[in-house]
Amino acid sequence: MTRRRAWAFGALLFALFASAALEIGLGPVSIPFWQIPGDTWAYFAGHRALDAVVVGAIRWPRLAVAVLAGSALALSGTVLQAILRNPMADPGVIGVSSGGALGAVIAVATGLSARSVAATPLLAFASGLAVAAVIYRLATSARRTDVYRLLLAGVALSSLCSAVITAILDLSPLEEMQQMMFWLFGGLDGSNWTEAAMLAGVNAVALTAFLRLSFAYDILTTGEEHAEAVGVDVERIKRASLAVAALIVSVAVSTTGVISFVGLIVPHILRRLIGANHRPLLAASALGGGVLLTLSDLVGRTVVQPAELNVGIVTSCLGVPFFLYLLYRQRRGRDIGL
Amino acid sequence: MMDIFHLHYHHRLEDICAAFGPGEMVGLVGPNGAGKSTLLRAMAGVLRPTGGVVQVMGEAIHAREPRWRARRVAYLPQFLPDDIPFTVREFVEMGRYSYAPQGVLSRTDMAAVDEALAVMGLVEHEDAPLTHLSGGERQRAAIARCLAQGAPILLLDEPIASLDIHYQLDILARLRALAEDGRLVIIALHHLELALAYCQRTICLHRGRLVADGSPGEVFTPALLRDVFRVDARPFRDPHSGALRLSVSAAIPHTPE
Repeated sequence: MTRRRAWAFGALLFALFASAALEIGLGPVSIPFWQIPGDTWAYFAGHRALDAVVVGAIRWPRLAVAVLAGSALALSGTVLQAILRNPMADPGVIGVSSGGALGAVIAVATGLSARSVAATPLLAFASGLAVAAVIYRLATSARRTDVYRLLLAGVALSSLCSAVITAILDLSPLEEMQQMMFWLFGGLDGSNWTEAAMLAGVNAVALTAFLRLSFAYDILTTGEEHAEAVGVDVERIKRASLAVAALIVSVAVSTTGVISFVGLIVPHILRRLIGANHRPLLAASALGGGVLLTLSDLVGRTVVQPAELNVGIVTSCLGVPFFLYLLYRQRRGRDIGL
Repeated sequence: MMDIFHLHYHHRLEDICAAFGPGEMVGLVGPNGAGKSTLLRAMAGVLRPTGGVVQVMGEAIHAREPRWRARRVAYLPQFLPDDIPFTVREFVEMGRYSYAPQGVLSRTDMAAVDEALAVMGLVEHEDAPLTHLSGGERQRAAIARCLAQGAPILLLDEPIASLDIHYQLDILARLRALAEDGRLVIIALHHLELALAYCQRTICLHRGRLVADGSPGEVFTPALLRDVFRVDARPFRDPHSGALRLSVSAAIPHTPE
């Protein structure tokens, strides 16, 4: 396992590096790989040649947001799957993403976002957390969380949030509506350094918190009753983890819109490669989420050139078959890899 | 070591009082639905009683945080999932959570894990995935996790329910050795004959009440076996071993009261 783990981490780092080079190099203006360091340097040294601006002001922030938002989604997926002890959990599936998007759309529609950069992520967090709390309460009785009730409540609240978002868009002026469309199907257009810095901050906090709880997540795979028996404060850890997961997902959603299934796919694949131990699994998920979202964005930007597909469309095209495959395996009663 | 005062839990436990000391091996018996699991969970501090107190070394267990409990009381729930994706050693290490909540085990923690694996005879299996073990070995691993907690009190909910006869006797003998070592071991048991053979004390629950507490010979009277377990049975001396056994002849048909 140790050897396999080392290989997996090596492959992830290579994939991250390669997809980053492609993300920066490919596009309407293509930049050869060997020129990327030079152009980056030129941009930060204050030169404003076309290539330097494309690299430094457009492609680098887009890459940073893609990697960090992917990390946030995959980390929260890993943690949700651990605390709910169900491999189908994902911030999109349980409704936290749509909840976050609703808050972001409200911030823009009410004009709050124009007053402060923090308004959109804050409102997204408040609304994502509220949706997560409602779903959790609906699915939990007598200190047990029923996963099917959780998924159904997630579906219901997700469609409610999407309906409200669509209603707000319908009532908005046309330009504003086009600007807000991406919250329904996430996109990385117009990513900037402020967003990247915000994501980096909350991701660092979340990763630290999650790593401190990783042993408890390992123990939770043996069941809540067993976890309580060895001294894990199960309820407290579940609530804290859910809140932190809601935080990073909401901040990610407030910058990119709803991107589904990254949090479902990444931990699944990595659990097969890395094993169920949450310390390496969380680290690998942070990398893997970044890789998957960057590659999805590359696909979205290149398949229908010169038009671009929102990255959320690409991840859904990958994720839906994956989700159905998991359902199929569950139906056959086989091990589902948690 | 552990004292229970007027314990209530809704209508499932009613006014339970008992005191247990170190070195005791106690069999908790009773028909299905009598409240055995509920009582063990309340004693372990996992379930908050609606009335009464469980004291561990003189302190009310429900007033203390989970890690305090886990250092003093090791509790093994009845069912263990059969798809736990860890090795035997990793699983036993989980018993050290109350000392190493971030999973960074000290030398003391490691020594406790090594000893638990040795006591349960699992050293040669320590790197095997839990899913590759037989039912009996898995149950031994679960008890090893309890031992790794280093707690002086062990509460086990039907630890031998689904095992073959070899492992039933193997595990009971190991548990008795742990009690002789000075621990308090309380196990819920369905096998009355095994309670007779391995426990020096038996407590019997019936409809949430403690109806008998004493040596197995005192507890298993024909009247109790008839009224509580609804079987025609009487104890006898085994002519081969000299041990007390039960001769069970028939189930008494259900009669509405």
